[in-house]
Amino acid sequence: MNQSRIIRGLVLALAAAPAFAQTTPPSGRLLASNCFQCHGTNGKGGVETLAGKSASEIVKELKEMQGKATPKMMDMHARGYTDAEIALIANYFAAQR
Amino acid sequence: MVKRRDFIKMAGAAGLGLSAAGWSMLAAADGVAAPVAVGVPTNTGIKGRVVVIGGGMAGATVAKYLRIWGGTGVDVTLIERDSAYSSNIMSNLVLNGSRTMSSLQYGYGNLTSRYGVKMVKGDVATIDPVGRSVTLASGTRYAYDRLVVAPGVDFDILPGLETAAAQAKVPHAWKAGPQTTALRNMITAMPNGGVFVMSIPGKPYRCPPGPYERACVVADWLKKNRPGSKVIVLDANPGITAEVHSFTDAFNVVHAGVIEYQPNVTINSVDATNMTVNTSIGNIHGNVLNLIPPHRAGKVIAANGLADSGGKWTSVDVLSYEAKVAPGIHVIGDASATTQPKAGHIANQEAKVCADAILRLFSGRALDPSPHTNSACYSPITFETASWLTANFAYDPVTKTMQPVAPSSGEAAARSKDNFEEMNKWFTALMGDSFA
Ligand SMILES: Cc1cc2nc3c(=O)[nH]c(=O)nc-3n(C[C@H](O)[C@H](O)[C@H](O)COP(=O)(O)OP(=O)(O)OC[C@H]3O[C@@H](n4cnc5c(N)ncnc54)[C@H](O)[C@@H]3O)c2cc1C
Repeated sequence: MNQSRIIRGLVLALAAAPAFAQTTPPSGRLLASNCFQCHGTNGKGGVETLAGKSASEIVKELKEMQGKATPKMMDMHARGYTDAEIALIANYFAAQR
Repeated sequence: MVKRRDFIKMAGAAGLGLSAAGWSMLAAADGVAAPVAVGVPTNTGIKGRVVVIGGGMAGATVAKYLRIWGGTGVDVTLIERDSAYSSNIMSNLVLNGSRTMSSLQYGYGNLTSRYGVKMVKGDVATIDPVGRSVTLASGTRYAYDRLVVAPGVDFDILPGLETAAAQAKVPHAWKAGPQTTALRNMITAMPNGGVFVMSIPGKPYRCPPGPYERACVVADWLKKNRPGSKVIVLDANPGITAEVHSFTDAFNVVHAGVIEYQPNVTINSVDATNMTVNTSIGNIHGNVLNLIPPHRAGKVIAANGLADSGGKWTSVDVLSYEAKVAPGIHVIGDASATTQPKAGHIANQEAKVCADAILRLFSGRALDPSPHTNSACYSPITFETASWLTANFAYDPVTKTMQPVAPSSGEAAARSKDNFEEMNKWFTALMGDSFA
């Protein structure tokens, strides 16, 4: 099956998820916090602000990085995530304001 | 725009760390956006009292994230013995004169004013795991529901260096501070044709590439300023432990004839009077001796029965960093024994996993079953070029350890100026995530 379709499916499914009780940590938050060291707390500041970017753009960029022939540090780092994890991260940042 | 060098002079004058305006200027000098303060929510419903011991890379981060994720119901007290944090990261660049120790100071003002962390200046002596409290050397007691211990490392004493006077003559400078400045002064006092002797302890030690990076920046400075000088590297390990490709090239090509690398060396004793090291490959004399002793967790760990791993470190469950020997006590950063490197970037991420776990435990929820952490490190090879090393770790439920996800772990193909610039950006962003 087409990988990007799976990701898009996940993105939509997560976006449509109902609001949980407040003690529930937002889905993807802990995973996305791996980005905060360089992209700022909650994806604000740092080398590039990720907060508020569209999920599909973040997914596309991470997938491109995974395929770079001579990886820079971020290209290498991106290879550590599955498609499902990428979708979680992308949705988290897309929801930040 | 303020140049990094000028800014650093100004920041140095500030001493106890950076204001919001200071952060903006520093970030601008490094070409990154300034750290943004995020709010502490009032309505999470989560309640609990956490005491954190040690305000370094791990401790400062866990205190901040417990508040921004846990909200105002989570009471966080951070106990730190120093009034400001001196960053180890980048402290090798003090040795070649491109940074100063005062520019590497980070205060705790933001943790208090932005996030409501209660700061206590003090040295924790005892932990009472049954009564759930800690006591400072001064006698003051603090009660907790959950304790986070993040004391970093302490150093063994090499035979011959028992006195303070001998230690002052042979600084390790592996905890950034006065020893770093002292070592810089010893380097600048070297004659042409001098010898700088350094040693690397057996694994695990903090910042695996750090000692090799140090050899490179010192060699680079000596080459330009003290012609004919040498850097002798005595490594207790059987070979270079990190960034093998970059440092092999650095030692054999970039700094060929200056760095002399000796693997598998045991140090028997040190004679600080005659500046000689007795080793398994003979006596070695230097104008400067910079011996990095073997490490163990900060002494509060062993003093309180938490050093169950080899008598030196704490074994933890990496889903929560809760100590295997002490329920309710979490150990993060250099002090815990895990499969991850002892490094600041990963200490920051361990802190987030720990904060998330503590908040879930407070609200009776299951732990996140599949955390990731990541390590990222840039290593200067010369004044203006650097290499890098990175790994993305995922939880492996079979071994119950964090394992590098294979394709995400590796080093730079080549040193470059771009890497050096990225290093400055990365550093400022990382320190912002932990301290601003
Ligand atoms: C030269 C050098 C270069 C490095 N470069 C890098 C790098 O490029 N990238 C990287 O990721 N890592 C790097 N590191 C490693 C990094 O500095 C450490 O891994 C990191 O600081 C660990 O964080 P920590 O919070 O565990 O300990 P620390 O940052 O050491 O903090 C421990 C804190 O606890 C306090 N403390 C200890 N005991 C007590 C007590 N009983 N009561 C109160 N307070 C206490 C100490 O004062 C200290 O502030 C480098 C290290 C060195 C030495």
